[in-house]
Amino acid sequence: MNRGREGIAEPRSRARVSSIVARGLKKSYESFEAVKGVDFEVYRGECFGFLGPNGAGKTTTMKMIYGAAIPTDGELTVAGLDITREERAVKRRIGVVAQENNLDEDLKVKENLLVYGRYYDMPRKETLRRAEELLEFVELTEKADAEVEHLSGGMKRRLLIARALINDPEIVVLDEPTTGLDPQARHLVWERLRELTSEGKTLILTTHYMEEAAQLCDRLVVMEGGRIIALGSPDELVEEHVSPEVLELRAAPDAMGDLLPLLEDHSDAVERAGNALLAYTADAGALQERVRNAGVSVDNMLYRRAGLEDVFMRLTGRRLID
Amino acid sequence: MGAVRLPSPRGTFRVWQRNATIFRKYWKTALLPNLFEPLLYLAALGLGLGAFIQSGGVGGQSYVQYIAPGLLASNAMFAASFESTFNTYVKMKIERVYDAIVTTPVNVEDVVAAEYLWAGTRAALYGTGFLSVLAVLGVVFDEPLVRSVWAVFIPPTLLLIGVMFSVTGTLFTSLIDRIDLYAYYFTLVVTPLFLFSGIFFPITDFPAPVPQIAWFTPLYHAVNACRELATGPSLGVLADVAWMLVFTAALFLLPIHFMRKRLIS
Repeated sequence: MNRGREGIAEPRSRARVSSIVARGLKKSYESFEAVKGVDFEVYRGECFGFLGPNGAGKTTTMKMIYGAAIPTDGELTVAGLDITREERAVKRRIGVVAQENNLDEDLKVKENLLVYGRYYDMPRKETLRRAEELLEFVELTEKADAEVEHLSGGMKRRLLIARALINDPEIVVLDEPTTGLDPQARHLVWERLRELTSEGKTLILTTHYMEEAAQLCDRLVVMEGGRIIALGSPDELVEEHVSPEVLELRAAPDAMGDLLPLLEDHSDAVERAGNALLAYTADAGALQERVRNAGVSVDNMLYRRAGLEDVFMRLTGRRLID
Repeated sequence: MGAVRLPSPRGTFRVWQRNATIFRKYWKTALLPNLFEPLLYLAALGLGLGAFIQSGGVGGQSYVQYIAPGLLASNAMFAASFESTFNTYVKMKIERVYDAIVTTPVNVEDVVAAEYLWAGTRAALYGTGFLSVLAVLGVVFDEPLVRSVWAVFIPPTLLLIGVMFSVTGTLFTSLIDRIDLYAYYFTLVVTPLFLFSGIFFPITDFPAPVPQIAWFTPLYHAVNACRELATGPSLGVLADVAWMLVFTAALFLLPIHFMRKRLIS
């Protein structure tokens, strides 16, 4: 967007305060090393994302931030405090939405917030006021007295978010906040998360959804195999790792032989995924013309702008990882 | 691994408070079976079996009088054992309640200590209900089952008994990964204690080493303490209470250590 020369006067030049700093952060379990030494810095007030396939070490990194996993090595400061030495103080300043739904099913919707507020020693009245505000915020006011088990998946997620905000945390950690939600529910969550960043809260989240990362994150890292393999804003990552446009083609297997060299000659990179080819180029329209003129039989052809998904696939490989 | 972690009173209270909030909703339905069960034992064994026991009963008491205080102790053991086994397991592994709590300023050590205290609270609450029933039955049938004013110290003793059995139950919970393994705990620990701790017959009359073995088990002292307080205590009750305090204190941190390993990787 407005990065580059004229962007320099904007946020970037302002002295930025770090919310979370990790240096050489490692976590190993008996049989494997989940996080193999990562460095990153999250600035106050930004939304910072972790992208990566399953098993990349995202959740382990989140767990280290909220104290559910102890780093094996390296440094981790959260809200200016060393997590291993001052875990209670850190936990007082953060809010956590874990990957699994761990609402207290023995308590009703609003009770979940009230009981949670007590863990932070909040005065009763303040907790009550905040609980009501937060139910409003996540649009669950009408469900205040409902049993948790009767909520839909989207409602449970929203209640988890409300619960993570009960102590008015400066940092909110969200591990896959929208996994398993339908599009409406997902958009509602996104909207709320955007409101949080506009209130000045620092958000750190993991996601599988490129759209989510592109929509929410100011900056993000891509993790794979316990390492950070790329860092930047969504636009920067696209610019750095792929060409601006993509031509996607589908062709019969016997046409591939003609098609492949043609594409390779006239684009920056070509990737194959099954019987689909993706050609990265500065001008996909021109490439499309060239393919047409060459008279190769193509079933289906479309061009689009390159996005985070392309970056992700480029960096982590076009394969099914589970 | 790591330093010894002592629970904070603040965090412990908060988790205890959570359990109390939930208990307030269903205490009436939870209390009833806990009153019926000891009454069934009292009726079947005290009256039924007691009828076949030679007149004169045990040590000058009728058989019902003899077993009633012991049942107070075993009732506390059962209440705390269910709480620290099945209930704790479900909260930990199925509902994931603890995972959520430990992301707040409450730590694992607070959660475990709160569960001890809660099991003790429940044992004391149920036991007080049962004690009241015994007192009333004694008046109604003109055969006093609680004969000493020292019985007012039974509820706090039941609290201690509850905490003690919660520590052992939580220790087992912290080590297993399948809920059906509790069958071993109940069959090999709880039931033998129930049968051989001097509730139904005086264990001290058996030849060595039976009384010596009994001395090393927790329910034996719990039964002694309750019986003494119900009938008018000797100084021996202090030894029983001291035994329970030492046993509880000795094991207190062990389940905390193992639970921490399960909840924090």
